[in-house]
Amino acid sequence: MKFNHHALLPETLHDEQARQDFVSALRGHLSGRVMPGAYKIYQTRVLPAFVAAQGREPEDEQEVRNVMTRDPYYQFWSALQRRSQELLWESVIDPTERLAPELIAKAKPRRKARGSLRLDPALAIPRYHTAADIHLQPGGYHSEFAADDVAAGAIYDKGINLYMGGALGRENDLMGNTLVAYLRERHPARRPLRILDMGCAIGNSTVVWARAFPRAEVHGIDVAAPVLRYAHGRAEALGVRAHFSQQNAEATDFPDGYFDLVVSHIVLHETSKSALVRILAECRRLLRPEGLMLHLEIPRGRSVIEKFMHNWESYNNNETFSRYMTRIDLLAEGRRAGFSADELKLEEFAPKLDVAQMNYAENFFWKILAAEKRAD
Amino acid sequence: MAKQRNTTPRTRTKATPKAAPAPVKIARVAKGKKPQYFADPATDKLLWMTVTLMEELSVTRDRLDTVERLLARKRVLKTQEIDGYKPDPRAASERDQRRRAYIDRMMRAVHAELEEATRSALKSADDPIAAVES
Repeated sequence: MKFNHHALLPETLHDEQARQDFVSALRGHLSGRVMPGAYKIYQTRVLPAFVAAQGREPEDEQEVRNVMTRDPYYQFWSALQRRSQELLWESVIDPTERLAPELIAKAKPRRKARGSLRLDPALAIPRYHTAADIHLQPGGYHSEFAADDVAAGAIYDKGINLYMGGALGRENDLMGNTLVAYLRERHPARRPLRILDMGCAIGNSTVVWARAFPRAEVHGIDVAAPVLRYAHGRAEALGVRAHFSQQNAEATDFPDGYFDLVVSHIVLHETSKSALVRILAECRRLLRPEGLMLHLEIPRGRSVIEKFMHNWESYNNNETFSRYMTRIDLLAEGRRAGFSADELKLEEFAPKLDVAQMNYAENFFWKILAAEKRAD
Repeated sequence: MAKQRNTTPRTRTKATPKAAPAPVKIARVAKGKKPQYFADPATDKLLWMTVTLMEELSVTRDRLDTVERLLARKRVLKTQEIDGYKPDPRAASERDQRRRAYIDRMMRAVHAELEEATRSALKSADDPIAAVES
């Protein structure tokens, strides 16, 4: 799919573009032609060998892992997938590094900005960001390579587009669009006037909400400054009004009951066991009575082999928390955070994707953790 | 094609716009333990290099294709002329620099082991996962 250009997206030179094109083609091949083979290998040789030896099928994804990681076909796919991920970032870092000073200048807040940017240099970056660079993006979301740096944002913007073969849409708006579609379908009468997007990164979904509800005051928060500076510059370049601030979703400075709607887009699985409950509790605090919480989450598979394949991200792509997310009950986490059972809902939502766009499984469905706050 | 008048590259500084911003260096290696995929770590390196080689070849073919199409469109040369070309010293030097950068990129699989060994490395691949689950 064609990717919309905007002022903050680094323009590529010939070979830089050729690198990105190669990475995209390689990942499409791996997802479309090589990854499905891992399921076939499991069914035809790994599972039968396991059953022959144990007299039963594997009970969980860990047991599948013990045998699959010894299979040469799986090993080769896995090593190739890892290398494609590294190359993906390299191909985006090249133009970003070359154009960094220009991008920094373009992202600087203007006096006549539509929205705003509020940074907090004293904010502690959580350990789940600093322990390992998420998705292997060198420096992660938070590292700064220059004063007023925006590199992590520029790298992420183009990188996530390559990551799913363009499936994230012309402006990486698929996740925002999915959640907006869910809201319109399930709650057609709602017109939220204050919206919070948690863990907004480059604001690709924040912008979707601001466009969907132009009268709303839309906030995006994240712990990482470089992506927020980029988010601000990007939203301004797209002519969208949004307010970005550097805050931890576990404890924000917004007043109780300030928001009609709190959302996040594939953020929860990048946090931690303790942070997850605190984030959900913070959502409940921030919602007005009858306010709505919607968290879009990545599918984690149904069968043990699917769960194992999704966990590839944990072991090989520094999505350290996703293994935990595979085996927990999100509704129970919501109750632990203070929601009552009848406030919470966990639903599946399936967008239509091309086979070359699915990295680890042939069945792709989003999970949505929803809650409607009752009047106390 | 413009003729090369002087074969020795002169160090002539262009009139640069004042206070050109300092170049930015972005990290190239992600923090976190790199998994080992095969019984022999040499296999990991060889696969790493092979994929990089695939990429470089793909990029080169794209570039060559661009050049040949542009030249044919402008009626500058025929493909046969490429076979008889000999680089002048400046071109040769530029090629050499590009070649070295290319080899450096290819050999990163080898350098990475040394970097990892000399860095205060994490104890095991599970460490960052254990950290967020506690």
